[in-house]
Amino acid sequence: MSAVTAALARPFAAIPARQRRAIGLALLILAVLLFPVVHNNDADIDSMANAAAYAMLALGLNIVVGFAGLLDLGYAAFFAIGAYFYGIFTSFQVMPAWSPLWDPVAALGLVQKINQGGPDLVHFTLSFWLAVPLAALVAACCGVAFGAPTLRLRGDYLAIVTLGFGEIVPIVARNTDWLTNGAAGLNGVQPPRLFGWSFGIGATPYYYTGMALVALGIFISVRLRDSRIGRAWMAIREDETAAGAMGVNRVRMKLLAFATGASFAGATGVFYVSKLQTATPEMFGFPVSTMVLVMVVLGGMGSVWGVVLGAALLQLLQSWFLPDLTSWTQALGGALGVGWMQKVDFTQAVELIFGVVLVGMMLFRREGLIPATRRPPALSFEAQHVSGVQRGGFVGAERIGIRRPEPGGLALEVKGVSVHFGGLRALEKVDLVVPAGGVVAVIGPNGSGKSTLFNIITGLVAAQEGSIRFEGKEILGLPPHEILSCGIARTFQNIRLFPTLSVLENVLIGQHARLSTGPVGAVLGTPGARAEERAAVNYASEIIELFGNRLTPRAQQSVAGLSYANRRRVELARALASRPRLLLLDEPTAGMNPAETLELAEQIKSLHALGLSILLIEHKLDVVTRLAENVIVLDHGEKIAEGPPEVVRRDEQVLSAYLGRAAREAANA
Amino acid sequence: MTTASLLLQQLINGLSLGAMYALLALGFTLVYGILELINFAHFNVFMVGTFIAMWTLEGLGLSGQSVILHGPALIAVLAAGFAVTMVVTGVLGVGIERFVLRPLRDVKGPAAMITTIGVSYVLFNVILLFVGAGSQNFPNPMPQARFNIAGAVIELREVLIWVVAIVLMLALTFFVQSTKIGRAMRATAQDPEAARMMGVEVDRVIMTAFFLGSALAGAGGMVFGLYYNYTSFIVGFTAGLRAFTAAVLGGIGNVPGAMLGGIVIGLIEALGSQFVGASWADVVIFSILVLVLVFRPAGLLGRVAPNKS
Repeated sequence: MSAVTAALARPFAAIPARQRRAIGLALLILAVLLFPVVHNNDADIDSMANAAAYAMLALGLNIVVGFAGLLDLGYAAFFAIGAYFYGIFTSFQVMPAWSPLWDPVAALGLVQKINQGGPDLVHFTLSFWLAVPLAALVAACCGVAFGAPTLRLRGDYLAIVTLGFGEIVPIVARNTDWLTNGAAGLNGVQPPRLFGWSFGIGATPYYYTGMALVALGIFISVRLRDSRIGRAWMAIREDETAAGAMGVNRVRMKLLAFATGASFAGATGVFYVSKLQTATPEMFGFPVSTMVLVMVVLGGMGSVWGVVLGAALLQLLQSWFLPDLTSWTQALGGALGVGWMQKVDFTQAVELIFGVVLVGMMLFRREGLIPATRRPPALSFEAQHVSGVQRGGFVGAERIGIRRPEPGGLALEVKGVSVHFGGLRALEKVDLVVPAGGVVAVIGPNGSGKSTLFNIITGLVAAQEGSIRFEGKEILGLPPHEILSCGIARTFQNIRLFPTLSVLENVLIGQHARLSTGPVGAVLGTPGARAEERAAVNYASEIIELFGNRLTPRAQQSVAGLSYANRRRVELARALASRPRLLLLDEPTAGMNPAETLELAEQIKSLHALGLSILLIEHKLDVVTRLAENVIVLDHGEKIAEGPPEVVRRDEQVLSAYLGRAAREAANA
Repeated sequence: MTTASLLLQQLINGLSLGAMYALLALGFTLVYGILELINFAHFNVFMVGTFIAMWTLEGLGLSGQSVILHGPALIAVLAAGFAVTMVVTGVLGVGIERFVLRPLRDVKGPAAMITTIGVSYVLFNVILLFVGAGSQNFPNPMPQARFNIAGAVIELREVLIWVVAIVLMLALTFFVQSTKIGRAMRATAQDPEAARMMGVEVDRVIMTAFFLGSALAGAGGMVFGLYYNYTSFIVGFTAGLRAFTAAVLGGIGNVPGAMLGGIVIGLIEALGSQFVGASWADVVIFSILVLVLVFRPAGLLGRVAPNKS
């Protein structure tokens, strides 16, 4: 099989990948455009138009579930909101009394004055083309309003809350007769008009409109995915805490994902209702949300083309394959005279198939039919040894633009900070100063509060009392992403990279707070956004190149496959990419062998030489002695000693904290 | 009816509903406490339970409300119904855990939760395909005995529901608090890694949790049938969501919390239906779910869970 595909692929291999993709896209567009012309069957064209609606929904849900990793089980609610928005503003359901105040609105063509044998009434006649963006906006606003209180919840709670929301919206639609005509459904919804020509009931115009919407959805999804916004979403999906510590405003980014996904559903609702010209609460229940989720899972969570394929496959399964299979089986049963085969109806089993697809994909192919990421294979031995490994400090580190601080200033000033977890005093009135351009090390036995100190400085843990000033500005109580923006970046003791993203993407996320491209700029691809992205990639590449042969050839590989030491290096690179003025390193050499430890120590030293202030937690005392100008010793959350490394090494209290009293006496003897 | 007796009547109804939701909520809480997994399959394990109960009772010769039993015969039939239903749903739960969820136990992200949605969907549609969409008449052998209290009516079936719920909850509490495997469950809930190193067979603990939770859902299913005298393929969804709300309200992972939450949700449903309107009951309940999650995610009885990451 693979030999056959390889033989078939050979003639195409000569064409560059970029052109190959362009040709494939052109062929696909041509096929989509010609389908109704070639295949003149209204029912099939209608099925394809429905598939387009579901593909739009799948694209929107993919932004929420696939990109940002937020499991939304009530997605159909936003579909309903868009649908009812258009339905109410084009039908005869709601007709307030006419007053002259409506005249300007009528002049815009949004309402008409009608008379049904009583006082004059207002009939809403919102244009389809205006309704699509408006419904997208309304759904996005509902997404924000609903998401703002709930997106702080843990992911699994979010799932259940969205499920509840998805249940409430159809109930409200069913119960508010005056607005939605309740369970009977909204009737008389107007079809779209284009330059005075009504779409009517034929499937073809809806087909082209739907395909145009899908094309727009794919375009927006791809642009967002490959931008600063998409990277931030994926960072949240991979490791929310690390994303925050790397400068991603998590609440805002999650809301943006939720709102973007909702806007897709809102726009699709307008399309779908204009096509059916009716809206009932049953069209937007839990089965719809589940079906869209199945499409996303089948195609591949996070994979734009995958979810479109998933939507198309499931829609075709429903409208073509199962009915055909049913009639074939029944015909066969008739020919063979088998009674049960003549009565079989596979279309009833479509939801059962959805359930089986969901379970089967999760168990056997979690990445979906078209996986979102394809990484280059691991390096061969030859590739790993193309150039000698460099030892010693960074060469050319001045290129990454570390600014030398004014001498004599203070980078970080921690005063009287205490943290209690219940009865446990993790830190008790700790004071600490990092001079601008200085290197300070924090040492202490396990559980002495070193990492807690880092977590407080970077905003991951709240302190009960005290003050933390960075360059004179109070930062205690700021959220992690704002602390990073101030100029403090950190690494984690137990490495927290974004595992499925590449080395380059990890380092680019480090720059998140230093870039400004928003969703609109990313989608439109403005010159400013493009220039910023190019500069960001260049800068990230420069930082990666500092690590020489260790990281440069692996820039496109996912970090999950890297060696332990290389992952530590990526974490350092990611922190440097945020252009920090103070670097917090939590056991940067843990798990490294002596040669790698020495190499990293020299690299840290060269950063220090450029003027970067560094606060370091380290157990290896030779690293501490080599780097630190000042050492703070913590024990049981309290500072028990402070001074230059060689003084602290001989401090009585430090010795007994580390080694116990007997060892101290032995050392003195 | 006076307002006071109306209120009393709805309190009685609410307690019955609440007892049912509590049985169902315990299954969510047991599994969540150990795996931190919202088990959507539980919704329809309950639904399947109503059918198992129905078939068991029919297998014992009952049909609809035509056969009325008294005394020991009634007790024997009901006990057999509960026992068979609980064992079958318990085994169903264990099967789901063993064959579908265990392979995904160490997978990060929403994979396991999505899988439970898929399983739930499969159960739902299997019943739909093989039984059909119509409501099924649930056999009920209980005599129509009624007790009047201050203008409100308590029926025999309600007394039965309370007795069953109380007995099962006491048994569960005893099991979790005082048996070896119950202790292992509590240890695993707190720290699976440490429990494993102390010799706890975590796989067995998880299976036990699924068995107990699903068996209680089966008991809930039987209670549902006896209370409403019907069942259908769709009953799992609404009841499941309400029971999940109950588990969250009480503090998910917390066994007494699930019981309390169930009672509270039952009361809210009964009183809300009376005073707000039945069609809005779910809106009220889900609003409570959202408010609890936002303002008191640990629930009424829960404490803020230690961060396991």
